[in-house]
Amino acid sequence: MDSKFPWLKEIDHTGDCGFTLEAGSIKHLFERAALGMMRIITDPSTVSPLAKVSFSIEERDSEALLRKWLSQLNFYHITNDFLFSRFEVKFKNPNEIAASAWGEKINADVHEIYTEIKAVTYHELNIIKTSTGWSARIIFDL
Amino acid sequence: MEKQNLRQISPALWEIPQSGKMNVPARIYATENMLDSILKDNAPEQAMNVAHLPGIVNYSLAMPDMHWGYGFPIGGVAAFDADAGVISPGGVGYDINCGVRLMATSLNRQQVQPKLSKLIEALFHTVPTGVGKSGKIQATLADLKKVTATGAKWAVENGYGSPSNLEYIEENGFIDQFDLDAVSAHAWERGKKQLGTLGSGNHFLEIGYVAEIYDETAAQIMGLRKDQITAIIHCGSRGFGYQVCDDYLEIMDRAVKKYGIELPDRQLACAPLHSKEGQAYLGAMRCAINYAFANRQIIYSMTEKVFERVFKMSATEVGMRVIYEVAHNIAKFEKHNVDGRMRNVCVHRKGATRAFAPGAEGIPAQYKKIGQPVLIPGDMGRYSYVLLGTEKAMNETFGSTCHGAGRAMSRTKAKKAARGRNIGRELSDSGIYVLGASRRTLDEEIPEAYKDVSHVVDACVQAGISKKVAKLRPLGCIKG
Repeated sequence: MDSKFPWLKEIDHTGDCGFTLEAGSIKHLFERAALGMMRIITDPSTVSPLAKVSFSIEERDSEALLRKWLSQLNFYHITNDFLFSRFEVKFKNPNEIAASAWGEKINADVHEIYTEIKAVTYHELNIIKTSTGWSARIIFDL
Repeated sequence: MEKQNLRQISPALWEIPQSGKMNVPARIYATENMLDSILKDNAPEQAMNVAHLPGIVNYSLAMPDMHWGYGFPIGGVAAFDADAGVISPGGVGYDINCGVRLMATSLNRQQVQPKLSKLIEALFHTVPTGVGKSGKIQATLADLKKVTATGAKWAVENGYGSPSNLEYIEENGFIDQFDLDAVSAHAWERGKKQLGTLGSGNHFLEIGYVAEIYDETAAQIMGLRKDQITAIIHCGSRGFGYQVCDDYLEIMDRAVKKYGIELPDRQLACAPLHSKEGQAYLGAMRCAINYAFANRQIIYSMTEKVFERVFKMSATEVGMRVIYEVAHNIAKFEKHNVDGRMRNVCVHRKGATRAFAPGAEGIPAQYKKIGQPVLIPGDMGRYSYVLLGTEKAMNETFGSTCHGAGRAMSRTKAKKAARGRNIGRELSDSGIYVLGASRRTLDEEIPEAYKDVSHVVDACVQAGISKKVAKLRPLGCIKG
């Protein structure tokens, strides 16, 4: 377990990579999932929240919504050479969010890029309401 | 899964009997020694899950390099009836038409060894590798549409390699019935800057030599001889293919409800082959197949030019040519024997390679008598194999075999195993010069993170679904 991310546990997946995470609220769960995904790509503590990007996403259920949210962040990261470190998610209804993410352009002198995420998969994807809040399980294809 | 759940069919073949809502049994190709590690993983359960899909015929198959994937296991092969079956993007994978090209040169190991480091460095600086690395080709949308509509032919027509290369690529480097309109704006965007790039992860360009020959006649027909310098390219359709898969998983996720398909794993999302969604995916997937064919052809040409520059030789003197190129993440319509009659089926190979027998359609004339060459790359430190397809593969595995060593360790475990070590130096001490875009990639790809590919190949040979021709050893490699 990473001491900076005590709420996140890596899944020991042979082919790819994934994690489970916990949060007190569903909004917080989505924000942490985004940070957890960025942690696969780089060290988020090296990314300054200089510019804001907005997302508006609607899906048919909360799992699909989480996958789409992460997929859109990854798409923006890849096509704009951009990294994120701060996230704010607002739920309009259980299947729709208006979200903002802050970050900056990749600077090779500052940011080490660890790997490329091909996609956020549906494999074993789940969101569960627990006695203390919410948990999710996400597997990425690298 | 426990071993007692399996029924041994032959020394290297095991069956998981049909149960619950499985439509067919699942079959695993592996030797008894490999079973322990295979059963620790979730891959056998994934092979069972695939058996639930509508229209699946014969068996849900898994090759000896199988490991835990998402939806389908890596190493999975499944064929679906062309009328009653489904198409599943997860059965092809995100890296559509990820594949391997084997090239041979006229050079010997003794000629290359003194300039090896110069060669690897020149390749590293010429072929873009690593995360999100942009290619030197700045393709416009119009260019990309031509690439995805013509495949490797586009590369040849634009000065990358020669027309004679095309005959030695699966499908001759181009697949028809593509549909440009089925590709999303996001996929075009992701594919724009990545043509002619290797990518990251397990993708590589390796320089090696023929270390051992098992079948002299076949090696001679292929033009392989001991100590000859070879090159292997392993990459696919880059972000373009990843996005096509991602887009259609979402579409299929909805289609599953629309067509009332019950799935044990959401990642297996699929649609009937004849449905609007199924047809659209097939059209978009074929665009990605063509993108990958073009990508490998471009990298081939870059490699050839680096050889000419480093060794100060003409193209004729270098003598680079394609031995064969195979796809290992793909779905295609093929005719196979199902219940004693030839039927048109859609074969999904996810981390599995086509391995057609002698005389089969679609094999270059030069190889008709020996069967289709198959290249099985190993890890960075050991060896790769050149195999041939067999009649038994045609009868049992829809003409398929393994695709590589298969991971034995997760990336996290590999990084832990590499902690405190200098993997580049360790490989260099054993005579293999490796340059990686990041140290992390080398750590994640340490040789022991993979199964020994010789065990995988031996299992395929023992099962009769492949024949060994030659063993190649690496001299140097560039990694993403």
